[in-house]
Parts: sequence; structure tokens; C-alpha cells
Amino acid sequence: MTRTHDHDHDAHAAIQSSSGVNEFEVLEQAVRELAIEKGLFSAEDHRRFSEWAESIGPSGGSKLVAKAWVDPEFNARLLADGTEACKEVGIDWLDPTGVGTPSDYTYFYVLENTPTVHNVIVCTLCSCYPRPVLGMSPDWYRTPHYRRRLVRWPREVLAEFGLHFGPDVEVRVHDSNQKSRFMVMPMRPDGTEGWTEEQLAAIVTRDTMIGVAQPKADWTATSSPSAG
Amino acid sequence: MGSTPYRILLDALDPGAPAETDLPELDHTPDPWESSMQATCECLSWRGTLDNLDRRHAEDALGETLYHDFPVHTRPAVVTAHELLDRGVITEEELRARMDAVRARLTRQ
Repeated sequence: MTRTHDHDHDAHAAIQSSSGVNEFEVLEQAVRELAIEKGLFSAEDHRRFSEWAESIGPSGGSKLVAKAWVDPEFNARLLADGTEACKEVGIDWLDPTGVGTPSDYTYFYVLENTPTVHNVIVCTLCSCYPRPVLGMSPDWYRTPHYRRRLVRWPREVLAEFGLHFGPDVEVRVHDSNQKSRFMVMPMRPDGTEGWTEEQLAAIVTRDTMIGVAQPKADWTATSSPSAG
Repeated sequence: MGSTPYRILLDALDPGAPAETDLPELDHTPDPWESSMQATCECLSWRGTLDNLDRRHAEDALGETLYHDFPVHTRPAVVTAHELLDRGVITEEELRARMDAVRARLTRQ
């Protein structure tokens, strides 16, 4: 079936190239094309890798937290060696390329929130993020405002996300870098007693593992907040 | 890892670009080409041409020496190209020619 357009294409402004081409973009494309032509990998390899990397979401991190909440021994393993414990939920930071794709060679640390300590992560240098467990970072995580301000005024920034802490709670900001990635393990909320790991994982949303939110028993981030 | 930089790669850096500061990249928002470069690096490692860990070590070493004026986010592209040139996988001439061709395609009106 052919759909007809109800608007005039001429009304669209032509997409203009920006003021000059980025030489590194040119370099990237040239290297990629030459590598493909020489048979080092295929265009399909590249497309599949890009599609896979961009499709990773935060479900791996949610599984880690949910499992830690119900299994104290796993919790201890996760805090002691995040990279190794990830394998128990099917995430191998060394697979498939041997160096922690798609975030490259790295150490992975899980930061446990307590009633008196709240952790939050940032990357002041660029946009380092624990992609194998959380997927792609949100837009705001990469903004200069978040990166610059969180390390200087963390309580102010967290308040803008709706998180308010009194003086009895220590706020710790963890700055990711080329070699070290962090993830927050939020506290299990009230009202979740007897829940399965699957139920628990559903409420451990991306933002709770960055540290700008806390999980709630009635919020899963899988449907619109106004839907219910 | 070669001990001299490649002219074709040095030419990629805009001479008017601001130098790195104490907090480099603070105002940098990743561009789409950086994700594509990441995938290229992963494919090169996956298929056995350039191991990711070797590349990261090269990024650290070359990024602080031969290409120290380059922004951190450009290191994967610059160092991957440098390593492929060093290993004779590509030549400087064909890289220059391909960059000219790509640039012409991207700027064609």
C-alpha cells in the first residue's frame, strides 16, 4: 500500500551541511572504508556492531542490583569485583573483543548506597559510562552543565532531579575515567518484601543506577508516567 | 608504535583549534562519528587486525607524545590510523586520497 504525503516537500528546507567538514569525521570514514576494502572487516560487521552497541539498555545493571538485593553473598561478590560478578548475569566485560566492549578496557566498581551515604556518578572529562551494564548514557549526562556542576554542587544538582538529602547523608560523587567505570547500587525500597528478582529488576531504573533517583515500588520506567 | 607522527594525521588538526586545558574536553559533546569510530575499533580488534588493548595503550602513549596537541576524543581515530600506517596495512598516500574523496562527498551540494 502506498501512503500519500499530505505536505509539500518543497516546503522543507534543504538540509545544509554545517560550516565546514570535521576533519576527524573525514578521517574516521576514510579509515573505515579502507579497512573494509582491504577485507579487515565488512560493512555488515560494522553495522551490526553499531546496532548491537546502541541497543544495549540498562537491564543488565537492573539484574545486578535485583540479584544483589536478594542474595547477600552475590552482593558481597559484586562489591568486591564488579567485573567478575557481572558474568553471573551474563555480562562479560571482556566479550566479544577481549577488552570490555563497547567501553573498552576498564575496571568496574559498584557503589552501594546506605541510609547515610548516597553515591552518584559523572564523567567530568568526557562521557565515560558503564555501557555494558547501562547502555548508552542519557543526553543530560553528557552535558557540560551536569559534568561541571555535579562535582562542585552535588546537592544542588541532585535537588534539580528531585532528590533532597539532609546533612546526615553524605553525598559522594564518583568521577569516571578512561580506565574506571562506576555504577550505583541503590537501596531496596520499602514495599518490595517477597518480590522476585524480576519484579525487583523492573524498578531499578537507569537513573537510580546513575544516582540521580531512588527506586520506588510503584515506578518501573517502562511506561509513560502519565499512563497510570 | 612509530616514533614520528604522520603528516596526514597532523594535518587533520585545525591550527586554530584551542589547546587542551587543565580540564580538557569539558565542553565537548560526542559527535556521531565517534560512535562509528568506536565500532571500527571494535571490528578491527574482533577480526584480529588491531587489538583493542594494544590500541588503548597506543592512545595513551602517542596521545601524550606525538599527538599531544590533539583533543582526547580524537585519539581513537588518529591512533588507529597511525597504527594501521605503521603496520603497512594502509599507506599515507591512499589515506590522503581517500580523505580527499570522502571530504568531497560530504561537502557536495
